[in-house]
Amino acid sequence: MKRELMNQADRIVLEVLYRSFRVLYRKDSRVRKEIDGWADDLTLKLVCGFGGAVLVVRHDREHGIVKLKRAQKADITMRFKSVEGAFQVLSGQKSVADAYAEHLFFLEGDIFQTMSFVRCVEYLEGYLFPGFMSRRILKELPGKQIPALEVYALALLENGN
Amino acid sequence: MTSYFEFTNPTKLCSGKGAADNLEYELEILGVLHPMVLSDRVLEKIGTLGIVLDALHTVQPGRVFTDIPRDSSIDVVNRIAREYREFGCDGLIAVGGGSVLDTAKGVRLLISQDADDLLDLMGCECLPRGKYVPFVALPTTAGTGSEATPVAVIKNPSLHIKMEYISQHLMPDVAVLDPRMTMTLPPRITASTGMDTLCHAIEAYSCMQKNPISDAYAASAVRLVRDNLVKAVRRGRSKETRMALANASYLAGAAFGNSMVGVIHAVGHALGGVCHIPHGDAMNILLPAGMIFNRKVCRDAYGELLLYLAGPEVYQATEPSKRADRSIREVIHLRKQLHELTGLPLTLKEAGADPGLFPQVAKTALNDGACIVNPREVTFEAVMKILEKCYE
Ligand SMILES: [Fe+2]
Repeated sequence: MKRELMNQADRIVLEVLYRSFRVLYRKDSRVRKEIDGWADDLTLKLVCGFGGAVLVVRHDREHGIVKLKRAQKADITMRFKSVEGAFQVLSGQKSVADAYAEHLFFLEGDIFQTMSFVRCVEYLEGYLFPGFMSRRILKELPGKQIPALEVYALALLENGN
Repeated sequence: MTSYFEFTNPTKLCSGKGAADNLEYELEILGVLHPMVLSDRVLEKIGTLGIVLDALHTVQPGRVFTDIPRDSSIDVVNRIAREYREFGCDGLIAVGGGSVLDTAKGVRLLISQDADDLLDLMGCECLPRGKYVPFVALPTTAGTGSEATPVAVIKNPSLHIKMEYISQHLMPDVAVLDPRMTMTLPPRITASTGMDTLCHAIEAYSCMQKNPISDAYAASAVRLVRDNLVKAVRRGRSKETRMALANASYLAGAAFGNSMVGVIHAVGHALGGVCHIPHGDAMNILLPAGMIFNRKVCRDAYGELLLYLAGPEVYQATEPSKRADRSIREVIHLRKQLHELTGLPLTLKEAGADPGLFPQVAKTALNDGACIVNPREVTFEAVMKILEKCYE
């Protein structure tokens, strides 16, 4: 039961993550610069544990990223070993760096290209989590270019597809 | 330190005088009849490879391949894997420095995964074991520690980057540390590779993945480097000092193979890829600046290391709040000694780096996996600052 709840939460946060990424691609120059540096049509997959929530996206020149069908094999896959581990990161209890250091996920694909994605997630965490949370998990606060509330509002309005 | 850690070191270690003489036995119990032996031209010429081939006695190598360049690349690895299959080999023996050992790891990956191109297997901890390929490593430098790590760094010449492969299945079954393997190492390379060992130990002791087991390995390595590096540079024929450094290299390798390395290696790999600076030289140049950058968050770890860097008397005589700084000074002092003895470069300028390439170096460094476990956030500006500081 607990696991199913975490799965649900992971699914919701992945959607928020996806939408916020698209918002920040328009609104945050650092995120835009990172994503613009990705290879054309690069595909990225995030898997939240065995049988857990999945997000697959493709690099897109107009929107930054667009969502793809989940079955696809991607250029880069970040696969959490457990639903619990994914939940710890998606709920802001652990940073991506902590998760990497604790072997909570493994990577398929080019480690170099993944680092850019990790930096984007850190920028994103600076917006999505309240200061006291980001301060606890991030080595340094990345700073914001627009108010966090605006990111939330725009993410709500964002077309999910 | 994190709230959870993992530690892997499945490699059997055969260390000391005459270690290579046990090779035939080790191969027999691994079930190897026709190993592929990997090495390089220099080791072939100076007779180091010969010592190993002699020790094989009744074991007939399926193929001896010595055409491995200093910076091995994906193409070289792919080619060797093809030959491994063509010659019907059933195991790998790597005799060489980091490049040869990492090449062997790449070949093992390809054979075990039944693949033809290393580019298809990129990743971190993502591969199942696949087919078992017995693998024995005989390091001929005391530096990279590759014989004890799950990491292979292999060049991708088309992108001018060094690619990292991380998998526990890359770790050799047996590592053989024989003083005859490192005895002929010239002073300059002894110094450079020794500083690489020291860097592994210091970064392992201060990175995010540090843990009590890797700390023990790292601290022992630092102590062995302190007591033996300058000696080995001065008197290379001493078996004891050579063995001490080989053990230090293994210990530091096992430490950083588990707790990983940080900003110094991220920048060092990038300097290797973009400016072609030899890895050990880059480590020697970057170590103090990297420590100063991390000092803010590593004060305790650096303070503890003073015991191993300088010995108990100095440690005790130094006020706790000043120990971290003293550790950095000890490293600077060691560098100075090595510079005077061997001319090991202290600056990027001496090493021939082009400062015009620094932005590219910084960009490359940021994409190195080592940045993620560095205890302090690594930014483009921070790397540029480190590079400029190290230039002259
Ligand atoms: Fe190194």
